[in-house]
Amino acid sequence: MQNSKPHILIVDDEKGLRVGTHRLLESEGYIVQSAENGLTGIKYGTEREFDLAIIDLKMPDVDGLEVLQKIKKVFPFTVCFIATAFASYDTAIEATRIGAYGYIPKPFTPEELIYQIEKGYKHRKLLLESERLKKEKEESLLEIASEKSRLKTILESISDGVLVVNKSGEVVYYNNASLKLLGFDEIKIGQQILGNLPEEINEKINRYLQPDSVVNKSRTVQIELNHNSQVFIEAVCSPVLHTDGSFAGVVIVLKNITEFKKIEFIKNQFVSMVAHELKAPVAAVSGFIKLILDKSFNISNEQQEDYLRRSGVRLNGLLDLVNDLLDISRMETKTKQREIEDLDIKEIILNTLQFLEIDIKNKNIKVDINFEDNIPSLKADQNEITRLFTNIFSNAIKYNRTDGSIKVSLSIDKNYLKIKISDTGIGMRPEDKDRMFNEFFRAKNKFTQNISGTGLGLSIVKRIIDSYYGKIDVESEYNVGSTFTIYLPIILPQAGELTTNYVGVQNVTNRNY
Amino acid sequence: MAVHEKIKLILLVDDDIDLLEQNKIIIESKGFKVITAESGEEAWKTFQEIKPDAVIADLIMEHHDSGFVLCHKIKRSEHGKNIPTYILTSATYDTGFKFGVTTKEEKEWIKCDGILNKPVVIDELLSKMESYYEN
Repeated sequence: MQNSKPHILIVDDEKGLRVGTHRLLESEGYIVQSAENGLTGIKYGTEREFDLAIIDLKMPDVDGLEVLQKIKKVFPFTVCFIATAFASYDTAIEATRIGAYGYIPKPFTPEELIYQIEKGYKHRKLLLESERLKKEKEESLLEIASEKSRLKTILESISDGVLVVNKSGEVVYYNNASLKLLGFDEIKIGQQILGNLPEEINEKINRYLQPDSVVNKSRTVQIELNHNSQVFIEAVCSPVLHTDGSFAGVVIVLKNITEFKKIEFIKNQFVSMVAHELKAPVAAVSGFIKLILDKSFNISNEQQEDYLRRSGVRLNGLLDLVNDLLDISRMETKTKQREIEDLDIKEIILNTLQFLEIDIKNKNIKVDINFEDNIPSLKADQNEITRLFTNIFSNAIKYNRTDGSIKVSLSIDKNYLKIKISDTGIGMRPEDKDRMFNEFFRAKNKFTQNISGTGLGLSIVKRIIDSYYGKIDVESEYNVGSTFTIYLPIILPQAGELTTNYVGVQNVTNRNY
Repeated sequence: MAVHEKIKLILLVDDDIDLLEQNKIIIESKGFKVITAESGEEAWKTFQEIKPDAVIADLIMEHHDSGFVLCHKIKRSEHGKNIPTYILTSATYDTGFKFGVTTKEEKEWIKCDGILNKPVVIDELLSKMESYYEN
C-alpha cells in the first residue's frame, strides 16, 4: 500500500459500469482490481487490504451491504463506498450504520466519482494517522506504567528506608523498609507524619518547612531506636524541589547503622583500654618520683635507688606497649607494604633464639630443637614472621621456670608448615585460655605478677597468623607448661583464589591434628 | 581527727605492686596501718582474717570487675557492711569507662561508698572517709 498509488477494489455485477469505472480510475493513477460479483468481492477484499472499495448495492449472489461488512470485519480501515441506482434514504442510512463512508448514486459522472474517491482517500489517511497516534499513546502509557512499577520494585527492594513528605508534612510515598526501620505497623498515604516520627527527624524536616529555610542541602541525623531491640539508624533528609526550584517536600532516606555503631563501640572500648594501659606505668613512675622528691616521706637512699630501677622497668614496659600498639596499627591500616619472599623458617627460628640468648641463659633454660629434613621455604614477610616467633619464644622464656626447657619442632603437615613450641612454664588455667589472644589480656596470678608484658604479644601473634590464613592451637596445663602449635600455609593463596582456597584452608585447619 | 578513732587498719588492694607500695607509704604517713593484697581473691581472704576498718580496692585486677566483686562480697558480709569501702581506679570518665556511684542504678549495682581516682589524693580519701561517718 503506497501513498502515491492507492489501491481500489470495484465490486459490481454490471459489466459496463465496472469496466468503465476501472478504466477511469486507472487512468487517474489508481491501482484497481475488479470483482464481477459479491462473493469474488468478498474474496478479494478480505485477502489483502485495499485503501478504498466501491461496492454495488444490488448484486444477484450477495448483497453489497454484506460484502461491505465482511471486508470491514477484516480490514476496518478500508474506506468503502456503496454505489446504487436505487438510491433511497433508508439504504443510505443503513449503509453508513454498518460502516460505509459514502454513498455514490448511479449513474455518476467521472468528476463526481473522482471527487468522492479523493475525499475517501483523505479520510483513510486520517484514519490511519489517528490509529497510529492511538497506538503510540497506548505504548507510551504502557511504558510509563512499567517505568513506575520498575521504580516501585527498586524502592521496595532496597534495604534503605525511603519516606517522602510534602510541604504540609503529609506522607506522599514510603517503602516497606522505612516502616521496618521506624518500627511502624503502617503508614497511610496522606497521613500527617510529623508528630509520629522520632523527634530528631521531625526537627530536621521542620527546618525545611520554615518559610525562610535554606533548602539546598541535606541534613543528617543519627538516632537510637528501641522497638524490639536496640537499633541505630541514620536519617538523611533532603529537600525535593520542583523543576522551577520551588520547594515541594522532603525525602528522608533511612539507613540501619547498628553494625557500624557496634564497631565504633568496640573501637572506643579499645581506645579506652589503651588509655588505661598507658596510664598505669606513667602513674607508677610519677608516684615513685613524688615519693623521692617529697622529703617528708624520708625515703632511704637504697629505697630511692630501688624506686628508680623500678621506674626504669615501667618505662621500658611503656615503650614495649607503644611499639606493640604501633605494630597493631600498622597491621590494621596496612600502611606497610608486605614484602613476600622465600623464607628459610629454620634460619628465622635459630636467629630468634640467638637474639633471646641472654634471657635463655639467665634462666638456665635448655632448648631442644628438632627440625625435619627437606622443609620447603615459606612465602611470607620476614619482619612479620620474625615478630611472630620473637613474641612466642619470649613468652616461652618469660613464663618458664628457672632450669626449665623449651622444645621446638618443625615439620610438614599436608600443605602447612607445622611449628610446635612447648615450654615448662606456668601454663594457663582453662578460663584464661579462652581469653589469651584478646588485646591487653594477661593472666593474673601469683606467678605472673612479677612478669612484665604489654598484653598485646599473643594478640599480635594471632593477627599475623590469621593474615597468612594459618592457625594456632594451644594446649596448656596450669603450673606444668604450654604448647603452641602454629600452622602456616606453604603456598600463600593469591588474591583471586582467596575465597575458594580460604574455605579449603578452613576445612583443613578445622580438623583435629 | 574523728576518722582516726574509727579507722586504724586499712586493707589496700592493687595488682600493680608499684602503686600498691606507693599508696601504702602515702596512707601510712597519715597515721593509718595498711595491710596490702595483690588480687581480689587474696584481698577477700585477708579481709576475713584481719577485719580492717576500711577497704580501698583497685578495680581491674585478675578480672575486669575484680574490685566490684570484692566490694559486693565485703558489703554482704557482717563485718563489711559497716565499714567504708572504696574503688580505686584510673578507669573512670576520664578514660572513657563511664561509671560512678551517683545514679540510682549505679548505686544498686556498685556496692561501694565511693570511687577514688588514681593516683590517690590523700586529702580526698580522708574527706571521703570523714563524710562516711558524718552521714
